Amino acid sequence: MKPFEYKFSEKLDEILDILSKFGPEAKILAGGTDLLIELRRKPAKFPKAIVDISYVKELDGIYENDNHIILKPLSTHTQIYKSNVLRRKAYLLSEAASQIGSLQIRNRGTVGGNIMNAAACADTVPPLIALNAEITLQSINDARILPLNDFFIKPYKTKANPDEVLTEIKFSALPENAKSVFIKLGRRNALSISRLSVAAVLQQDDSGKILDARLVPGAALPTWRRVTEAEEILIGEKPSMELFRAAGAKVSEVMISYTGRRWSTEYKEPVISALVRRALEKCVMT
Amino acid sequence: MKVNIKTKINNKVYELSVSPNQTLLHFLREELGLTGTKCGCEIGECGACTVLLNGKAVNSCLVLVPQIHNKEVLTVEGLAEGDVLHPLQKAFIDYGAVHCGFCTPGLLMTSKELLDENSEPDEVEIRTAIAGNLCRCTGYIQIVEAIKGASKELRKS
Repeated sequence: MKPFEYKFSEKLDEILDILSKFGPEAKILAGGTDLLIELRRKPAKFPKAIVDISYVKELDGIYENDNHIILKPLSTHTQIYKSNVLRRKAYLLSEAASQIGSLQIRNRGTVGGNIMNAAACADTVPPLIALNAEITLQSINDARILPLNDFFIKPYKTKANPDEVLTEIKFSALPENAKSVFIKLGRRNALSISRLSVAAVLQQDDSGKILDARLVPGAALPTWRRVTEAEEILIGEKPSMELFRAAGAKVSEVMISYTGRRWSTEYKEPVISALVRRALEKCVMT
Repeated sequence: MKVNIKTKINNKVYELSVSPNQTLLHFLREELGLTGTKCGCEIGECGACTVLLNGKAVNSCLVLVPQIHNKEVLTVEGLAEGDVLHPLQKAFIDYGAVHCGFCTPGLLMTSKELLDENSEPDEVEIRTAIAGNLCRCTGYIQIVEAIKGASKELRKS
């Protein structure tokens, strides 16, 4: 590994100050599960400084405040899937975290890193977008709140400035009668990277009619977003195989409207549609 | 530029001045001579370099050495107590779970975290826990049996 300056602090203020000095020449280190691999690949633009935020206590933890969940960015995937609050109030997020990498990766990888690295296969992002999460970005002089679905530009590219730190992820708890799932399709079971995934939320009223539906495919669109075109098909209707199939077909149609038909479309088109149908069925059956 | 760190490795306190641009794996093997921890893929896929960091299994190839500051590291060398093998080590021998041996240190460390947190894991829990440790001799059945055996042994004591 090439030499770099290693900077760390337990205080957020000091971290922000260091970042403001190094600007784009610094890279933030949290769990390191992506950054260390990148550093060893000898990137053309090797960072001058590595700024370790993993000792900042105020950036760690999962809190419940009224009906809001506050997820601090240093929360590891292990912390997320072991959290009872998240299991009860944002089940799809625990489900996604439990399927990431391996035990070793889940023990180290953080939700903040997953978001900021912005790989197309980031598994915590589709659930967080389905939860309508907002994020706080803080720099030495400023703090701003962005909806997560407005944060990504393209894979590995976000709207964060080099001097900003992700300090908070916030979302409303799902209503008690809402069901949610995360389904991922990898090339194998262990340590798999998502080829395609679907995060889904479904809420029905007492008569069985669908009140709320949220569908976010992963690794399918240029950036993540709720596929409202498909959600609209579901709202106000009663669940049926046909309805779920139509929603699946719509997600696949939307995907192709972005990507065009390419070599992988023959595979992705039926698969994403089946994953959506399966996710919705799982919501109704559990 | 060196970084000063304070850490505990295999229950021994160290105050060190380290070059930050190295992984914990490299540091353990090359600077401390603790070569029980194996270097496999170096991209966090194979688990051969697994150690415990504050009791949690991590790939030491993905930890930057200053990140062990104020933390405790346990490597396979710290598993036995003197001449007495840890029940996991004994079970790996008894059940024939050591083949070429390269994945064994990593598997022992991952299994240690599993048994520390769950004294009676079932087959699925064991297989989920060790999914990040590849055995290219593919002797997983003996490995799973050994972990089950060790968990029984530990519950007795």
